[in-house]
Amino acid sequence: MPEVIFFSRENPALVVALLILATCFQALADIGTATQTLNVVLIPAGKVSIPSGFSLTTTGTTFNAYRGTLRVSYRFRTAQGGGGSISLRAGSDFLPSGGPSIASGALVYSCGPAGLGVPCAGPQTVSTTLSTAVVAIQESTCTGGGGSCSAVDPATVELQFTLDNSPEYETGIYSSSLVFTVSTL
Amino acid sequence: MKQRFATCLSALTVMLMLAAAVHAQTFQPSGSTTISVTVAAEASLYIEDSTTTLSGGPLFSDYTGTTRFTYKIRTSQGSGTGSITSLVTADFSPAGGPSVSNPPTAGDALTYTCSVSSPATACSGTQTASTTAAQPVASFGANARSSRNGNSGQVNWTLTNDPLYATGSYSATVTFTVSAT
Repeated sequence: MPEVIFFSRENPALVVALLILATCFQALADIGTATQTLNVVLIPAGKVSIPSGFSLTTTGTTFNAYRGTLRVSYRFRTAQGGGGSISLRAGSDFLPSGGPSIASGALVYSCGPAGLGVPCAGPQTVSTTLSTAVVAIQESTCTGGGGSCSAVDPATVELQFTLDNSPEYETGIYSSSLVFTVSTL
Repeated sequence: MKQRFATCLSALTVMLMLAAAVHAQTFQPSGSTTISVTVAAEASLYIEDSTTTLSGGPLFSDYTGTTRFTYKIRTSQGSGTGSITSLVTADFSPAGGPSVSNPPTAGDALTYTCSVSSPATACSGTQTASTTAAQPVASFGANARSSRNGNSGQVNWTLTNDPLYATGSYSATVTFTVSAT
């Protein structure tokens, strides 16, 4: 079930709603009190948010490479002795056929600075069969709040994609899907 | 009392809807995105010989020489076309020797023939170089695509060897243009 960010100190509308609710029921009944102890166990977790799509473009008309940028947003909570990661894999090759091919190694990316964790090192070649690294998350860390956690929430990392522009490609519009997977230990 | 309670609930409903709208980004254990690219017609040209020297034989035989080039091209599927042309953008200088635009003898000319590799089609027959209008070197049809590293072509020059030319070194500039749709 998707986690919709709802309970946040940055959401003043919710605070107002709670105050209104308190006022509504105070108008109806006598007030009684009872106590109960609440316990919660926080387990490691990681989640990611990706734009629905992006395009690669070229400059000029002399076969300069196609380029594009994708911003990945993520949240993590890792345990002591644990860690986490985000990786990506192409869901399919570019379609229709006749154009660029991911299977031939034409699509690569590099990672910019990461708001939490260590971004991938060097250019990575996108694969339809193997996952490649995006971000590695250390143990005992978390997103947001500062201190031992990242200063920003969510954390982000930008991926710069480069696609070979070969004269052998037929003209047309080609697309593929990139699947991002989160893992935690 | 009841009216006050109904009013409270209405206000509560509005605030809860506003709270939900504040954060539209959805986080999940995995995510996917569509990556797309539009591949359009493109063309580029590389002249292998920055300088082509025309050499003449004895007894006023014509001067000849060859300019080699490599082209890359991708024309559109369906109705795309392409071309390579030549234009003398600077006539021979200094004065006193050959001239493309104003030769000392009518009939003196700088001409060429073309030789290109597929998918190009070479110009037909002998072409006369011009300083005013681009002349054909090669043409391309729809969905014409060169290899990744480009395909070869060359222009074979012939220049009239007129005895009226004063001795000396003369240079002209020829500009080749490639285009694709």
